[in-house]
Formats: sequence, C-alpha cells, structure tokens
Amino acid sequence: MSEVVPIDVPSASTAVASTPVLEARALFKRYGDVEAVAGLDLRVGPSEIYCLLGPNGAGKTTTIHLFLGFLEPTGGSVHVSGLDVAAEPLESKRRLAYIPEQVMLYRNLSGLENLEYFAALGGRGSLAAERLTDILVGAGLPRAAVQRRVSEYSKGMRQKVGIAIAIAKEADALLLDEPTSGLDPQASNEFSELLGRLRDRGVAVLMATHDLFRAKETGTRVGIMRHGRLATEMSTDEIGHADLERVYLEHMHG
Amino acid sequence: MIKHIARKEFTDVVRDGRFRWCAALVGALLLVSLGHGWVQARQAQGELAAAQATAREHWESQGEKNPHSAAHYGIYAFKPRLALSFVDAGVDPYTGTSVWLEAHRQNDFLMRPAQDATAAQRIGALTAAHVLQHLVPLLIILLTFGALAGEREQGTLRQLLATGVGRSDLALGKALGIAGALALLLVPAAVVGAAALVVGSPGPAASPLARAAVLAGVYLVYFAAFVGLSLAVSAQAGSARTALVALLAVWVVNGLVAPRAAVDLSRWIHPTPSAVEFARTLEREMATGVEGIERPDQAATAARLMAQHGVERVEDLPLNDVGVYLQESEEFGNRIFDRNYGALWDTFERQGLVHEALAVAAPLLAVRTLSMGLAGTDVEQHRHFATAAEAYRRDLMRQMNGDLTENSRSGDFSYTAGPDLWAQVPPLRYDAPTLGWVLNNRLLSLLVLGLWLAAAVLAAAAGARRAEVA
Repeated sequence: MSEVVPIDVPSASTAVASTPVLEARALFKRYGDVEAVAGLDLRVGPSEIYCLLGPNGAGKTTTIHLFLGFLEPTGGSVHVSGLDVAAEPLESKRRLAYIPEQVMLYRNLSGLENLEYFAALGGRGSLAAERLTDILVGAGLPRAAVQRRVSEYSKGMRQKVGIAIAIAKEADALLLDEPTSGLDPQASNEFSELLGRLRDRGVAVLMATHDLFRAKETGTRVGIMRHGRLATEMSTDEIGHADLERVYLEHMHG
Repeated sequence: MIKHIARKEFTDVVRDGRFRWCAALVGALLLVSLGHGWVQARQAQGELAAAQATAREHWESQGEKNPHSAAHYGIYAFKPRLALSFVDAGVDPYTGTSVWLEAHRQNDFLMRPAQDATAAQRIGALTAAHVLQHLVPLLIILLTFGALAGEREQGTLRQLLATGVGRSDLALGKALGIAGALALLLVPAAVVGAAALVVGSPGPAASPLARAAVLAGVYLVYFAAFVGLSLAVSAQAGSARTALVALLAVWVVNGLVAPRAAVDLSRWIHPTPSAVEFARTLEREMATGVEGIERPDQAATAARLMAQHGVERVEDLPLNDVGVYLQESEEFGNRIFDRNYGALWDTFERQGLVHEALAVAAPLLAVRTLSMGLAGTDVEQHRHFATAAEAYRRDLMRQMNGDLTENSRSGDFSYTAGPDLWAQVPPLRYDAPTLGWVLNNRLLSLLVLGLWLAAAVLAAAAGARRAEVA
C-alpha cells in the first residue's frame, strides 16, 4: 500500500474556460496512401475527460502526436487553449502535459532528479525538492524510492514518475496515451482518482485507451475512432458498461 | 532552459561508468604524454645547450690554423626547442635539429630520432598532440553518438519535446553538458601544461603563454566542431548504433585516411626529387654551374685583381687573390644552393598549402598544421631556422675568407690565424618567429577550422530541427 499524500492539483487557466482547451478541426494526417486521421473534429473542454477508444491503427496515437506537434497535419488544424499548434508549436506544448504508454526516464538520475529536470523544462523550475517529492509520493511512488536511480525502478514506478511530471507541469490539458499500461489495479484506481481531481480543477484530459471499463469509470465523454474518423461519441453519464461494450463492438464490426 | 539541459546532460554523462573509465584512460594518457614530453624536452634542451657550448669551445680552441682550414673545421648549429615542443614534437624527429656549418657546403640536418627509431617506436610515439587530435575526438564521439538518437530510441525525446523545449535549445544544452564533462578531463591537463610552462619552460619561444593560449583555443574549436558534428549525426541517424558507426567512420577518415591521403596527394601534385636525385643535381651544378650562374675561374679572378691594382704578378697584389677566389666560390655555391634548396622549400610550401586546403575534408589536417606551427615544430619554422643557420654559415665563411684575403698574400700557405679571430666570430643568435608570424602563415588553416566549427554548429542545429521524434 503506497503512502497517500494529498496533491494540491492546480487549476487550469480560466482565461480559456469558455473555449475548448483541445480542439481538432477537420484534421487529416496521411502517410502515403494511408489516411491515419481522416477529417477528425474533436473538442475537449475544461473539466472534461475525453476517452478516445478504438482498435490499433484507428488513429488515436496519431491524434495525440498531432496535438503535441510531433507530426504535421496534412489537412485541418489542431489547437491548444486557442493556440494553433502549427503556428505556435512551443507555446502550445507549454500548455500541455503528456504521459505516453511507456514513460521513459534517465536511468542515471533519480526519480526526483528526473522530475526536477522535466519540471524545469516545462517552466516549473522554481518548485522546491520537498514539493516535488510530495508530487512523486502523491503519484504513488514510495518515498524511499524518490532518491534512488531510475535504473532500479519497475515499469510501474516509471509510469508514476511520468504522472508526477504531468502534474508538476500544471498544464491546461493532459494528453494520455494508454497511461495505465503497466500499472497494477490499485495504482490504476489511484490514477483514475487523480484524473478526477485534475478534472475538478478544470484540466482538460484527452486519453487514448483500450480499457473500456476505465473509460466508462473515469471519462466524462467517450469517442470511438475507426479508420481515422470519430465513429461516434457519447457522454459516459448516458451509457452503462454493457452498452458501451456493445456500441464499441458494433462499430468495430460494422 | 539551456542551463537545465546542460546540467542534466553533465550529470547523466558523469554518472555513466563507461564515461568515467574512458575519461580516466584518456586523461591519464594526456597527463603522461604531457609529463613525458616535458621531461624529454627539458632533457633535450639541456643536451642541446651542452652540445652548443661544446661546439663553441671546440671552435674557439681549434688552435692556430689557416682560416680556410677553420672554415672546413666548421661549427655545429643547433635548432632550439621551443617551449611548446613538449606538446607537439611535429616534424623535428624527421627533419633533425642540428646542422654542421662548413665551407662550400650546405649540409643536411642531423639528429633525427625518427631515423633511428624502430617501426614500433614510430607507431607507438605518443605525444599530447596525438591524444588531443585523436583520442579526445573519439571520446567525444562515444559521449555524443546517443545524445539525440539514443533519446529517440529510448523514448525520452518525445517526453522532452512535449515539455515545450526548443530543439535548438536542446542541442545547445546537450553540447554544453558534454563540454562540461570534457572540461573535467581537459582543464586539469591545461593547468598542468600551463604550470609546466611557467615553472620550468623546456625551451625559449616568443611569448610562450600567448602561443599556449592560442593553441588551447585551436583545440577547443576542434573539439567544439566534433561535438557539433556528432550531434548532427546523432540527430539524423536512424538509431544510436547507426550514429556510432557513422561517427567512427568519420573518425577513421579524419584521423587515419585523410592525413595519409593528404601527404600522397600533395606529393603527387607537387613532386619533390628523391634525396639521391637532389644530391646529384647539386653535385653536377656545383661542378659545372648553370646558365646565369657561372663557376668562378681562379686565373680570371687573379687577372681581374691584377688589372684592378695595376700589377703584373699576383705576388704584387696587396691582398691574397686565393681568398677572393674562395669567397667568389662560396658565393657561386650559395647561388646554386639558393636555386636548388629554394625550389625544394618552395615545393614543400606548395605541398603544405595543398595539405591545408585539404583540411576542408578533415579538420585534423588544419589542427595538426596549427598545432605544429604554434609549438614551433612545423616545416616552416624548420625552414626559418635553416635559413638563419645558412646565413650564419655564409657570414662565417665571409669572415674567414676576408681574413685570408687581407692578412696573407698569394702563395703564402703558411699563414695562420688564432683564437682572436675565432673569438671574433659571434655565436649564432636565433630569434624564433613571433606568434603573429606563425598565425599569418597559417591563415588558411585558421579559416578552414573556423569553417568546420560554423558548419558543425549549423549542421547540429539543422539536424536537431529536423530530427524525427519517434
């Protein structure tokens, strides 16, 4: 059982509260003959957890990479807090936090040093070591592991450092690509609670996942992607677990 | 932001056991080569001073003899080892450091350690310049090949760029972090080198500390170019392994292929005669003269002198016509020497220019030229000393022949001079070229090295901008 340290989850900027924090407008990404994203329109507002479901190759990760500016759209545009990612790549990334499926860290640095580094690059260099330690422990990392080198960490521990990095950045939006991969059920639950707290503070979350159960439990809205398009989207309040699974399978085989 | 990246890179590198082992090895080799070079240079300088004193003593105590015999007795001249020669021995082991100055001949230099060394000794000779020119770049490659390719492979590059850090800032921060790690190795070596110069300079030089500072600057530019080049390759390579292989290929071309190719190419473009061929040409021209440089004729000299002085017999001349003839022979020889050695030196100079120009393909060629130049051990400074020694020889011969001409008469073979005349011959005073002279001679290498740095920085920035994230 990991130590529970309440994390003071920051509020997102209220200046963009009236506009979507994450927005894709008629978004296309083509690789040769393959249309990875084909006319995607997507809006994620403040205090919203949008879960992007779909099979492998549906375009979920490509969509996240387009928001991060790692890829250039072949059509349409992506916006973060009203900023066009193509026009303002660095400033838009400063408004984002990102947790990949496998968080990779610097093996020769400790968990705390990794967090200090990423926090500093994300514009949070002023955070004291005590505060960063609290964030790490709050993300589920054992306090005794904070000063140990990451080369001694398990995959789950690295994932928790990744979560701490995202929290420390105090971003307007959080992009998650299969973030609970490698976490044990308890850590996954703690992660879901953490997302809930972030949502309460106004953070917009876009999470690509295969986990229908967690999407229903954690998300406020769910979108199902297929062949680079949004096949359908729905509010999680309007649908039960069984219905979500049925709709998902229908769209996969339809 | 750059400061954070540099600090993290430094910490990451310094904590890497592989770096610590490699840096310890290169650092030890650098310090040992500096120390060994300094001890050797001091020893050689001491031997040179002793040999010079002995040669002078032999000259002054040669006893009563005819000045022309004294001219044949001759004297040795020794090229002083400049202060920084302990860093870079340059061409000295191949060209030699002493020359016997005698009548009628411009001799080759002697004391060439490379001539007496075994093949293993020649290959194994380790100087600080070798370590700086070959091993430090290899260490830079080992530190840098994974800087961006490795981050991409491990997946950390995506997370880094997701923070909003600029790619140029990332490349610059990494370069500074690697530079910081290298400083752990190079700063102590620089301090030891400077202390060696200050505490016990192994030889004279015009402004040794200024030369040392410029030398340090040259090597810093070389290392910075290597860091930039390695970052550029790391940014563009598909994997860290590909980056390593590509950079090792660059290292081999730069350090092993290019120097050999530059020598062969410069010789091919500007061929030099073999030593035997050169000696035969000199011998032939000395025997027969060439068009425009006629060999003097003793009878004609006597006839001219008699006409000038209005006498009918050489015995009536107020001077010794043989002395005049010997001086004319010297001057004839000098013109033949100038013609042949001048052409040879000019060919060496043109070869050097080709060598310098080829540095556009390998920065080592520029660094090696500058390093030898600043250490005072390059071909140009060998020529500078050889020219000074030859001028001294000519003065010496003029003085001996002048004494013979003025103080003896034709046919008087019993004339001798003594210690007074020998003591009137001043010792050879050689002023090494100034730093400005060296740099002025090496503008092309400075320019090419600067171009390498600029190109490496631009390539690293462009590579980082274009680097694939995943």
